[in-house]
Amino acid sequence: MKVYDSSVRQIPVISQVKSIYENRGLLRLLVVRDLTVRYKRSVIGVWWSLLNPLFTTAVMFYVFNTVFKSRLPGGSPFLPYLLSGVLLITFFNQGLTIGADAIASGAGVLTKVYVRPEIFAASASISSAINFAIGLVPLTVVLAIYHKTPTWRFPLVLAVMFCMILFTTGLSLMLAIAYVNFDDSRSLINIFLMALQYMTPIFYPISVLGPHTRDVIQLNPLTSFLQVFRREFGNSAVSTIHNWEIMAGTSLFTFILGFYVFNARWPKVVAKL
Amino acid sequence: MTSEKIVEATDVSLAYRRTRHKVSSLKQTAIDTINRRMAYEEFFALKGVSFNIARGETVSVIGRNGAGKSTLLKVIARVLPPTSGRVIVRGYVAPMIELGAGFNPELTGAENIVLYGTLLGRTPKEMRSRIEAIADWAGLSEHMDIPIRAYSSGMTARLAFATATDTTPDLLLIDEVLSVGDEDFREKSAARTIEMMNGGCAVLLVSHDLEAVKKMSTRAIYLQSGRQKVSGEPAEVIEAYLSDVHH
Repeated sequence: MKVYDSSVRQIPVISQVKSIYENRGLLRLLVVRDLTVRYKRSVIGVWWSLLNPLFTTAVMFYVFNTVFKSRLPGGSPFLPYLLSGVLLITFFNQGLTIGADAIASGAGVLTKVYVRPEIFAASASISSAINFAIGLVPLTVVLAIYHKTPTWRFPLVLAVMFCMILFTTGLSLMLAIAYVNFDDSRSLINIFLMALQYMTPIFYPISVLGPHTRDVIQLNPLTSFLQVFRREFGNSAVSTIHNWEIMAGTSLFTFILGFYVFNARWPKVVAKL
Repeated sequence: MTSEKIVEATDVSLAYRRTRHKVSSLKQTAIDTINRRMAYEEFFALKGVSFNIARGETVSVIGRNGAGKSTLLKVIARVLPPTSGRVIVRGYVAPMIELGAGFNPELTGAENIVLYGTLLGRTPKEMRSRIEAIADWAGLSEHMDIPIRAYSSGMTARLAFATATDTTPDLLLIDEVLSVGDEDFREKSAARTIEMMNGGCAVLLVSHDLEAVKKMSTRAIYLQSGRQKVSGEPAEVIEAYLSDVHH
C-alpha cells in the first residue's frame, strides 16, 4: 500500500528522477498526447512539425544566400548547414518553453491531483526530441541534393539528443519557477532566447568571427551541441572533443541544478497557481 | 480493520508569502531589493489543524468561504506540502475535486479515460482494460472514438465522474457533493458516491450543504480563518458554526 508521509525528507534529484521512472507509463502517455494532439487536426499529419523549421530555413536561406550572398568557407553547401542549425534550435526552444509553460499553467491538474510536475518537463523535452528526429529525414534529403550522405557516425546524434533532453528538462524546470514567481519573466525570456539564437552559429560559420567574438560564441553551450550535431550527422562542421565536453558537462550540470532548484522552490510557488 | 487510520494530520499549518503588490514582477522585486524593503507578508491558510480519519469514517469540513477548507483538501491530496506539521495518508486517494481536470479536448473519450485515470495514479494498462466498463457506466459507449471537444458539458462531466469513481479508493476527497449531468445521471452518481462512502473507504468531505453534512458524516470540523474552531459530533459542530454565522 502506498503511504504518503509529509515528514519524510526526499533526497533531491535522486528521488525526483526515481519518481519519473516509476511513472514512466504516464510519461509515455504524455509524450504520445503531445505528438498526437499536435498532428491530429492537420492533413499532413506528422510532417506538420516540420513545417515551421522548413519554412524558417527557406526564408533564412533566401535572405542569407541570395540577398547577403554569404558563403561558407571551402565552398561547403549552405543549405544543410542552415537546416541543421534551425532543427537544433527548434528542438531547444520547444523543449524549453513547452515544458515551462505546461508546469506554470499547472498543466490543468497540478493543483487538483498529485502528479510530479517534473514529468511534464521531461515529456515536453522528449516529444521535442522526437520532432527533431523526424526532421532528420528532410535533412538527409537536403544532403543528398548536394551529393552528400550522413556519416557512418550518425548514431552519435542520439547522444546529442540525450544531452539536449537533459539540458532542456533542467532549464525548463527553473524557467517554470520564474514564470510562476514573476509575471514579467516571459517577455524577458523571449528576448534572452532571441539573443541566444544569434549567439549560436545557425546561419554563419564560426570562421567569419573575430577571435574575441569567437571566444564568446564558443562559451554558448548551444554552439557545442550544434557543432557536434553537424559534424556527426552530415560532416558539415568541425567539432572538437572540447565541444563534446561542453555539451555533456553543461547538460548534466543543468539537469541536476534544475531538479535541485525545482525541488526547493516548487512547494513555495505551488500555492500561487 | 475498521480502526485502521487512513489519514493522520498532526498540527498541520500552511503558510505562504503574499506580496504586498498586486502583481509580482522582476522589476518590482529588483526595486524592492534595492530599497531593502520586505515585500512579503506571511499568510496562514491553515494553522495547527489536527485530525484522523479511520476506514469507514466520513469527516466533514465546514466553514465560511476562505476559511481554508479547500486548502485542507489540497494538503491531504498531497498537492500542497504542509509548511509545518505532519500528514500521513495510506493507500489510493481519489480526489473528486474539479473532475475532468487533465482532460484533453483533442483526444478521444477512450484516450482521455486512460490519461485521466493514469493522472489519478492508476496504470495505463489497468485503465485500458477498464475503458468499456467506464464508457458503459457513463452511457457513452458510442462516443468513445471521437474527440471530447465534440462532447456536451454534461457528457464530459459524466465521463470524468465515471473515470474518477471507477475503483473504490482508500480515501475519497470530495469538494461539494457532486451533481453532474441530467436528472437520471445525477441520481446514479449520487448513489455511486454513497456506495463508495459506505464501501469501507475513508472520506473527507468539504461542503456548504449542512443537511448533507449532518446526514453523511461521522465527525465534523469547523474551520475559521484556517484554525480548527470546533470539532466532534456533526450536530454540535454545525450548531457552533450556525451560531457564529448568525451573530
